Amino acid sequence: MLNLIRRDYILLKWQILIFIPFVLFFIFFGDHLDPAFIFLIASFYISFSTYTYDEKAETNRLLNSLPYTRKEIIASRYLGGMVHMIVAIAFTSALLFIFNKPYTVTDIAISSALFLVFASLFFPLFYVIKKGFFTPVVIISFLVISFIGPPIASFFANHVTAVTNFINNLSVPALYSGSVLVSMFIYAVSWGISVIIYERKAF
Amino acid sequence: MENVVELKGVTKNFKGFSVENMNLEVKQGCITGFIGENGAGISTTLKMIMNLLRPDAGEVNIFGMNYRQHEKEIKQRIGFVCDSNVYYEGLNVKDIKRIVAPAYKQWDDALFHRYVDQFELPLNKAIKKFSKGMQMKVSLAIALSHQAELIIMDEPTAGLDSIFRRELLHVLQELKEDRQRTIFFSTHITTDLDRIADYIAFIHKGNLIFNYSTHEIEENYTLVKGSLDLLDWETEQVFVHVHRTSTGFEALAKNIQDVEHTFGNDVIMERASLEDIMYHYKGGMKHAKFNMA
Repeated sequence: MLNLIRRDYILLKWQILIFIPFVLFFIFFGDHLDPAFIFLIASFYISFSTYTYDEKAETNRLLNSLPYTRKEIIASRYLGGMVHMIVAIAFTSALLFIFNKPYTVTDIAISSALFLVFASLFFPLFYVIKKGFFTPVVIISFLVISFIGPPIASFFANHVTAVTNFINNLSVPALYSGSVLVSMFIYAVSWGISVIIYERKAF
Repeated sequence: MENVVELKGVTKNFKGFSVENMNLEVKQGCITGFIGENGAGISTTLKMIMNLLRPDAGEVNIFGMNYRQHEKEIKQRIGFVCDSNVYYEGLNVKDIKRIVAPAYKQWDDALFHRYVDQFELPLNKAIKKFSKGMQMKVSLAIALSHQAELIIMDEPTAGLDSIFRRELLHVLQELKEDRQRTIFFSTHITTDLDRIADYIAFIHKGNLIFNYSTHEIEENYTLVKGSLDLLDWETEQVFVHVHRTSTGFEALAKNIQDVEHTFGNDVIMERASLEDIMYHYKGGMKHAKFNMA
């Protein structure tokens, strides 16, 4: 299984070189951006680069002819997603630190929670959407969610006051660790769904 | 002789096409050629043997084990060569090896480099710059480098020049000397099989017509030529299919004794090539004049 996660870094060795200038671009030209957003974009970069690579090749036929079970292939995707997120956060933190840009653990918690939620939505889609359509669907949905997500959230915050009051009463550490836990739960559910979809596929 | 691959009552249905109740055995230590026309169900069957596709009904056993419980053990012992390039095109052979090799417990790096040398494969060139033949050689080198006991190949010679085809057949011949190794491969080029195959499995419209040794095919199938006046409803029953021309008929029979018994010395019998057999079965379906085996 670790071999499958390692595979992502063999595939991405050139993209990783572009990763650093990519993150630096956001650090220098995105002064108005929240550091959490930079962490999120960086996490996305690694995970989704592996998907776009796989979309071009007959990866599923290759992986399924090797001695791996379908469950392991999906597990490597989800565990790999977390590994990529940690790597991206580590690199981004180092770059922010080197260039003296402030960030907090809260930024990391928010970006991790958001990454896990977005990944939970997009990972199963990879196994459903027709080859070649995955990348545009992800980019468009990411932008759409980014635009309509906050107004929807504030609408609910104003109208479903019980939930808002409950959240307001939580202490800050409880709130952030709670969101990370909830997003991990969503991630686990998404993992289960992907296994079900993948087990039924023909290659 | 032990069976390495056993398909029992395997059925897979698609829209407008199905593999029906297939019973197929592949014997250990032999080269079995898998033939049939385009769309006969060859790729579907190979995919079911590789568990890339799951049958709707029936059982697939490889080395006496099933995929539900022993997927990894089975695949450790199989070398698979696909009909198209499944490797990442942007990568070079070295990186592809770095991805594939750790999956196998018995990966033999020295052996892999021997094949790389033998096939003259450049290690550092992106695979997308390789010709189709070279890409096939990469697949083959990888499939042969982990001591696989069963080598499965889907159309390994398709679209390749005759020199590479000979080279490939030579490699297979070498592998055949190791009697533990089983080779099962599909091809449209039946002359390849004349040289090396021990068994031929022939599939037609999703049905396995036969799985005979080359010797059994020679003993049973025959091409019969004679004059048209010998044909009537009764005599035609010995044939799989009859092709009439203005000067006479050519027909395929699957039992030489029946032909001798029916026609005596009035007809000429010739050895039926695999191509003759495939041609007549195809024609036989069109004219609905054969009894299936």
